[in-house]
Amino acid sequence: MMGQSIIVEDVSLSFPKKKSILQMLKKSDTSSFLALDKINFSVKKGEVVGIIGRNGCGKSTLLRIIAGIFSPDKGTCKSAGKISLLAGLGTGFTGHLTGRENAFLYGSILGHEQAVMKELMDEIIAFSELESFIDEPLRTYSAGMKARLGLAVASALNPEILLIDEVLGVGDPVFKEKSKKKILDMVSEAGTVVIVSHSFGLMTSICDRVIHMSDGKIKFIGEPQEAISSYYASEEGRK
Amino acid sequence: MDIQLTEVGPKTSFFTAPVSSLSILFSHRFLIKNLLKRETKGRYNNSFLGYSWTVLEPALLSSVYYFLFIMLADNPDRLYPVWVIIGVIVWTCFGKCLQATVTSLTRNASTIHLVYFPRIIFSYSTVGSTIWTTVMSSFVLIPLLFIYDIQISWQLLLVPLAIFLAAFNAIGFGLLLAPANCINRDIEHLIRFIVRAGFFVSPVMWTWGMAVERGWAADVVLWNPMVFPITLARDGFLGHVTEFPLNGMMISVGWGVLMWVIGSALFSKYEHSAVKYL
Repeated sequence: MMGQSIIVEDVSLSFPKKKSILQMLKKSDTSSFLALDKINFSVKKGEVVGIIGRNGCGKSTLLRIIAGIFSPDKGTCKSAGKISLLAGLGTGFTGHLTGRENAFLYGSILGHEQAVMKELMDEIIAFSELESFIDEPLRTYSAGMKARLGLAVASALNPEILLIDEVLGVGDPVFKEKSKKKILDMVSEAGTVVIVSHSFGLMTSICDRVIHMSDGKIKFIGEPQEAISSYYASEEGRK
Repeated sequence: MDIQLTEVGPKTSFFTAPVSSLSILFSHRFLIKNLLKRETKGRYNNSFLGYSWTVLEPALLSSVYYFLFIMLADNPDRLYPVWVIIGVIVWTCFGKCLQATVTSLTRNASTIHLVYFPRIIFSYSTVGSTIWTTVMSSFVLIPLLFIYDIQISWQLLLVPLAIFLAAFNAIGFGLLLAPANCINRDIEHLIRFIVRAGFFVSPVMWTWGMAVERGWAADVVLWNPMVFPITLARDGFLGHVTEFPLNGMMISVGWGVLMWVIGSALFSKYEHSAVKYL
């Protein structure tokens, strides 16, 4: 097939439950938890796909399969181009390093080259609005400042496929608007995007298709509005 | 032009894993540089003496062992305090490297859950920072050269080589056990015990020469891969290349290489299933 960016075929993944040696000796069949159950879907190049579902339904795990963090027990996941996962802004942030050093560390964790980071540094400082604070240790930063620095570095990514896992909603209202705008910019630049969010308003406005997941299975794929109805219908059913 | 679809995740061959781990290190050198910076800067963070601790720690520790030893056996070798310091430095490097590699996945669980890069990078960068601080701590030997009136020679370079060898002996074994430690943390407790017990089994408080004096002991001790690095460093300090038996050297280096090959291969094979336990 032409123009496909991500193809997920029959992917299953189960997480083992932690056991101590004593429990391992006693064999029991509840030793693992099926997080993803035969997931099939594909994303076309340039398409924005959302994933919704209640907490623990496997949305984030599915993103991590696509990002290569977990490898599936069964099935395959194929992708075309450089993938970046935007989740938990500020991975590896360390209190005793300065803002600048942390930016370099986080940037390198996300896969930037040194030359690229040096080039982007001014832009990062400007976007994070840290100014002279950039050379102070990170432990002196407020939570909002850390979030701004994290987003500034992460948004400098330029992947072919962008995966977003609930990163909105930190900082003051002005910065919140700014970060939302930045993420929307990234979405339009990246082309192919898979986004996990609980914000249905955002999903209907930017997604071409939305996947509704429940208990590790795909319940529905299609028009955002219909996926949201499918979500509410299944939530009603639970009550 | 469309980019080809490829399967997600690394496809390192089991047999080329040790070699490909080296190319991974090269291609991720910027990341490693930053991780090293984090570890070395963090180690003595918020301390007045800072890096001096790398020198103070082995010096203080050795003085304790020295008094212990002259209480147990009187009239030791004039250079005995130096032998203990070198023993402590090289052995501590091995112990720290081993513990750091075994826990390299578990300590970095939060990063592993958020981004993918070959996880062997965590192991190598933590070993790198340990080698760095150990080389720093070996500067304690420079004043000792003057105190004991020993000629400065090129053989002093055997000291950092011995430190590197000690770290290399640890990394393979550590890589082998790191995925297993994700599944069961008993491994890291076991390793902590091995490091403590190994302190006495290895020539930290005694020397290869003392083992040779006892005859049969030398044949047993030869099988400990840490005897060679420690002896190499001690002989280097005195300004001569070691007279350690060749078969002992081969056991030590052979163990290091064998464990590194097996450890790298098993690490790359099991890292993916192991991270699910984190």
